Amino acid sequence: MNLNNTMILTILKKDLKLFFSDKKGMFLTFLMPILLITLFAFAFGGIGKKYQSKPIALLVADNDHSADSKNVISTLDSLKGILIIQKEKQAAIKLVQKGKYVAVLIFEKGFEDAILSGKPLPLELQYDAAREIEMGMLQGVLIQNVMTSVGEKSVKAKINNYFDTNFKDISPNVKNKIFRDLDSGKSGMNTIKSQRAALKMTSIIKQGTKKGNLGLIQAVAGTAIMMLLFSISGIGGGLLHEKEAGTFKRLLYAPLKPTTILFGKMSAALCIAILQLMVMFVFSWIVFGLPIFNDISSLILMILATAFAVSSFGIFLVSIAKSRQQLQGYSTLIIMLMSAIGGSMIPLFVMPAIMQKIAVISVNYWGIQGFYDIFWRGLPLVDILPRIGVLLAIGMVMTLISVRLFKKNILKFA
Amino acid sequence: MIRLTNVSKSFGDLKAVKNISFSIKEGEIFGLLGPNGAGKSTTINMMSTLLKSDAGSVSIAGNEVQKNTVACKQLIGVVPQEISLYDDFSAYDNLLFWGSLYAVPKKELNRRIKEILDLIGLADRKNDLIKNYSGGMKRRINIAAAILHKPKVLFMDEPTVGVDPQSRNRIFDIVETLNKQGMTIVYTTHYMEEVERLCDRIAIMDLGKIIAQGTKEELQKQSNAKEHVVLKVNGKEKVLFDCLKQKYATVIEGKTLRVECNVNTDLARIVSFCNSEKIEIEDLKLNKVNLEAIFLNLTGKQLRDS
Repeated sequence: MNLNNTMILTILKKDLKLFFSDKKGMFLTFLMPILLITLFAFAFGGIGKKYQSKPIALLVADNDHSADSKNVISTLDSLKGILIIQKEKQAAIKLVQKGKYVAVLIFEKGFEDAILSGKPLPLELQYDAAREIEMGMLQGVLIQNVMTSVGEKSVKAKINNYFDTNFKDISPNVKNKIFRDLDSGKSGMNTIKSQRAALKMTSIIKQGTKKGNLGLIQAVAGTAIMMLLFSISGIGGGLLHEKEAGTFKRLLYAPLKPTTILFGKMSAALCIAILQLMVMFVFSWIVFGLPIFNDISSLILMILATAFAVSSFGIFLVSIAKSRQQLQGYSTLIIMLMSAIGGSMIPLFVMPAIMQKIAVISVNYWGIQGFYDIFWRGLPLVDILPRIGVLLAIGMVMTLISVRLFKKNILKFA
Repeated sequence: MIRLTNVSKSFGDLKAVKNISFSIKEGEIFGLLGPNGAGKSTTINMMSTLLKSDAGSVSIAGNEVQKNTVACKQLIGVVPQEISLYDDFSAYDNLLFWGSLYAVPKKELNRRIKEILDLIGLADRKNDLIKNYSGGMKRRINIAAAILHKPKVLFMDEPTVGVDPQSRNRIFDIVETLNKQGMTIVYTTHYMEEVERLCDRIAIMDLGKIIAQGTKEELQKQSNAKEHVVLKVNGKEKVLFDCLKQKYATVIEGKTLRVECNVNTDLARIVSFCNSEKIEIEDLKLNKVNLEAIFLNLTGKQLRDS
């Protein structure tokens, strides 16, 4: 073995020894992929039966209070896939508008009369189109199970009315034969199909303003926040680079408080985060026509709050890392997890209910939902403020933790 | 200007500095000499406010470092051992940034930058990026960044590591100029020739302790180091030993003789005697009293090898 090969082997042994002595490095190398695989399997409902998704919660507003409306509600309530929650109409609509529930089924007064008289049913499903996957499932269940119970009665009433109006002299035997054929399906008529149009479907999202494309909003908000997290952790990594290069030590020699250095770094990260978000939204406006001027004040506030939360989070990542290698590992792990949970990688509405609940622990969730509120739900600023508040709170908490960790980790090794 | 009283510092089980005391006078160049791991950098870090001592006190111009940290920081400048500059900035931008941290007014700072760039001889390269500088040029900018705010005390931690002899001499000139301007300089190194050339007083550190301090002459007295000649001869060593021991303190070990004498005046006589007695000199070593010898005498080990 020549000298070069011996040196290569020596270095190889040294690096392997270093690697196996670094427990954190081992964790990041092996456990991270396992965690991500588990997470994605969970998100797509690929884990055992006990984790099957919960029933879809459907709000019901019964303004008819008739036997027929109660019968329909009771039929719906008996279905495993749907959880019925009865609410007053306006309250229910508001809850859907805020994204709390997927839809509200409204039985207007005169529902029972309409069935008996064969008139169009005053039955409306107002829904949040941002949750189209849940809506698709809900629509199918409603049409299959509910409309059959009222549809048959309604169709017969309609046919009866038709005969009474146009064929007054028709024999009762013929009439009964037609109804029997309807019951047996021989007629080729489909009561469900015919009644599909009877269920009025209305997207509850504010009308009259130019909405963004749902996919586009998801892509812009989701990707923007995820990439922002990566770039901010990269910017924060500059602090560790300074530590390695010795310039950080020189900063400490200067008459500055350590927290001044940290806040200086955070401010830079915040400015870059704001700029990055602005560029992304302006780009989406220019290239894809995202209506960023619909509610510019809400958008600016959301950008500021998101940038603050994300930049604080980025600095937090820097504060827990002692080297750039550690930072790279931590940031990849945490950002990927948060992005997956929070809806950056997979839209939240395709996730099981439990995942949608877990999502609230992620910065991405609050940012993405805030941008949905602005571009899709068209909510006024007052309804977006809670999300902005949560983002600011995340930013504050992360900043406080970062200051403590910064003093403990960074200064110690300066 | 600087006073350390019974200062100690440990890192876990390692006692890096053990109960040291010394003072540095205003306007002097004070050398802190010692091998790697002697505790020099820890001592500098405590004097320059970066580390807190576990025991004892450090004061600069009457200000306790641990109590008046910010005031002390204004009084000092530190030239770190590593090149602590932003590679992607020009020399001018680096100096502007580092000077700004000391709240030097912009106009004054610009004047100061020009003055310092002239002093270090890099005025014509001020707009070049640091990454395009040679090692010696970077070292000079590294010094410049520490003196923009006109500190009273300048700590220089091994400022000539890895530079060519020409740049080293340039750095010596800068140090001497700054000292002439009234700056007190604390200079740490393990190169004795640098200390011998620059320093008025020296403290020798080893294993976290100050083992001797004073001027070079005072250290010589403390160490009891003496000039001597080491001769290796090929035969007749007994004859030579009998002759030399009458006049000089001489020790014989095999064919090698160690003779304490004045190298400048006595060496010629010894060589002449060898010629007359036809004693063949195989090897001859002159050992003047320098810091190397003093350190050897005090610690029993070589400074550079330890």
